[in-house]
Amino acid sequence: MKFNKHLLAASVSIASMNAMAPVVFAQEATIVLPSNTVGLTSYNPVTAILTNAAAFLIFDRLVEVDAARNYHPHLAESWEEAEDGMSWVFHLKQGVTFHNGVPFNAQTIADWLPLYDGTDNAYYTAAIDSIQVVDEYTVKFVMKHPEPNLLYNLAIMGVPEPKSFVAMGENFGVTETIGTGPYKLESFDIGQQTVLVRNDDYTWGSPVAKNTGPAKFEHLTFREIAEASTAFLELKTGGVDMLLSVPADFVPEVEKQSDLKLVSVPGRELVYMVMNVVKEPFNDIKVREAAALAINQQEILDNIYGGIGQVADTFLISALPEAKVADEYRIAFNPDKANALLDEAGWTMGADGVRMKDGQPLKVSLWTQSDSVFRRLSEVVQAQLKAVGISAEIGTFDSAMIRDQYKSGEQQVAVRSYVWDNADIVDWFFGGDRLGYPNISMFNDPKAEDLRAAAMTGSKSSDERIANFTAYHEYVLSQFPVAPIYQPVVSVAYNTSRISMPEVFDAPGIGSTVLMDMAPVE
Amino acid sequence: MGVAVVKLSDTTLGRVMRRPKGVIAGTWLILVVFVAVFAPYLTPYEYDIQDLPNAFRAPDAAHWLGTDEFGRDMLTRIMYGARTSLSVSTIAIGISVFCGMCLGAASGYFGGRFDRAVTAVIDLTWSFPEILVALILVAIIGPGVTGAMVAIGVAYLALFTRLTRSQIMAIKSETFVEASLSLGASHGHILMRHLLPNALAPVIVAAMLATGDAIILEATLGFFGLGAQPPTPSWGGLMSSGTAHMFKAPWIIIIPGVAVAVTVFAINLFGDALIHALDVRARVRES
Repeated sequence: MKFNKHLLAASVSIASMNAMAPVVFAQEATIVLPSNTVGLTSYNPVTAILTNAAAFLIFDRLVEVDAARNYHPHLAESWEEAEDGMSWVFHLKQGVTFHNGVPFNAQTIADWLPLYDGTDNAYYTAAIDSIQVVDEYTVKFVMKHPEPNLLYNLAIMGVPEPKSFVAMGENFGVTETIGTGPYKLESFDIGQQTVLVRNDDYTWGSPVAKNTGPAKFEHLTFREIAEASTAFLELKTGGVDMLLSVPADFVPEVEKQSDLKLVSVPGRELVYMVMNVVKEPFNDIKVREAAALAINQQEILDNIYGGIGQVADTFLISALPEAKVADEYRIAFNPDKANALLDEAGWTMGADGVRMKDGQPLKVSLWTQSDSVFRRLSEVVQAQLKAVGISAEIGTFDSAMIRDQYKSGEQQVAVRSYVWDNADIVDWFFGGDRLGYPNISMFNDPKAEDLRAAAMTGSKSSDERIANFTAYHEYVLSQFPVAPIYQPVVSVAYNTSRISMPEVFDAPGIGSTVLMDMAPVE
Repeated sequence: MGVAVVKLSDTTLGRVMRRPKGVIAGTWLILVVFVAVFAPYLTPYEYDIQDLPNAFRAPDAAHWLGTDEFGRDMLTRIMYGARTSLSVSTIAIGISVFCGMCLGAASGYFGGRFDRAVTAVIDLTWSFPEILVALILVAIIGPGVTGAMVAIGVAYLALFTRLTRSQIMAIKSETFVEASLSLGASHGHILMRHLLPNALAPVIVAAMLATGDAIILEATLGFFGLGAQPPTPSWGGLMSSGTAHMFKAPWIIIIPGVAVAVTVFAINLFGDALIHALDVRARVRES
């Protein structure tokens, strides 16, 4: 009885405290990054070959892109391109400061861009011959050749504080990261999570977002969870507030939950199978073509991805003009031709359903990453290859480690995906100077290199660039280092009791401009 | 002598089966072994042929335990999975029993530097959990059924080496060993005819119980994707693929989980009955 009295007194006092407490909105949110960005090792904007949404909040860019792929001002207020494409002038925003208090101005740009020289990302600035500081807030790029893709590159390239960047060396992006963005890096546990804290001085947001001032959340935690079911469980149980990419499998599950909202935007991802053109048996183009034609894209779309998204028949997402290749270059399921090609190549069908040549079975090692969506896709690809007599043994690697495995060049065939919405991804994955990773196929062909050079550096206008890249893309497809499979849509899921988001995302993906309009629920 | 051996095993098994837990566990184990051996004759489905439009079918008349994420019959996958789980665990334990007994008997009987070296290595592996030893070995050998077998075999080597060694050490000072030696018997004869047969009973019981653990270890390796590689089913692999579809098709993870649990429980029950059946004091009391 005594105990009960105490309990009653305690509950009354707690209730009164609750009644008196001011209403405090949650000032922090936890967001799960897409599984294909798991394993980011550095937020270094100059050298990193993998990036994520957090990087887009730490650094600002000179320009931003909207959903219709039009360019808008950000750190650059306006710009002009010379008629012949041989120079660009950028007028920079005034009053912008870096996280360490250093002012942002024309000299920043002059110091920053040369840092790309010699890195994997050198192609971003390769067309720029010299940078002239016209006045404190005006900078002029003198070009080696016209670069129709310059604004696209500038909309990706985060601006770091150049002096700290040089002083910190390898540590920049790992222990400390200095940009002008709406958030500062508070902590970064590689492979685990990134915690950002709001930059309260921020007043220079891009007009693509409604909010151009400081962000609405004080803290953002970005977690890396490779396994989709774990990420979904975390969202369902309130452990996290948002998934930046919900696999198609879980879309119906998310729709069932009343407090979760799903927003789909056109994807920038392409799922594909890539073959190593220098390793047996894929050094024979007939075997490569046969393997590519054995992939039943529609079956995969319908059964693995629940019909959400669309099939891929080129190496580029279909929204890009360079994806409009001639029909003869499109790669689509054709089992009869696949079988005929393997017969022609001398691989005859054995009794156990595996083809043989010179007493050797047609066995390959199919590499994939360990998250369940890829494992499942690989098992279907394995069965589809088996149907034409190719026996594939699946080798799974940790999602964060597989890029290092590719550098060994030991891969025969792999199932993977990329996220990018520019035709220069063909250069990235098939350039002869990037063998291993990113050029997993080890494709290094003189004709392709000529077409590549024309596409990357020889285009004077946007139309010419499209024509050159289309030709390069067509040639690569004709050599079958790759079998395109699927193009997803991006489905973002968030907890509506914690987060509010704009109804329409005016961006090609879930970038900084979308996240700037994210707010706590009152 | 041959007759006597048959009779001894008959009575041991008889004593096990006289206990209710022995009967229940024994029946389940016989059933699992039967299903594993005759799987191709017991099911109309193939374990590796995908039927994607029929994926995620709940248990019904056509598929008693439903289908998996590729439309393959779960009952068929469980039956073939029993093959993998049982063969990997018994062969692995067979390897560790054979090697462990040889090593343990030699080091226990001869002693000296050899004994100290063996003990040091065994104590070192004993200080790691079995799963860690197995994971390191699979990382070296590579994933797959062979890798899992060797890894599990080596992981349990320490157990049987230590057990045999301690048994041999206890018996080798008995007077009948001394008598044999003075009659001119060779070391090989003494080991094979006197020491090892007397050390066998506890090793059999330990092997039985370790087989249960090995099934769990095999399932764990399979769960991590390091056991049998797809499309070959293993119970751990089935559970692993089920985790991704826990909400949509819970049977994919539950059914192999139940199979592992019930089988390991049956092995432990049977082992328990075996302990009583092989207990020397109990046998003396009965006579």
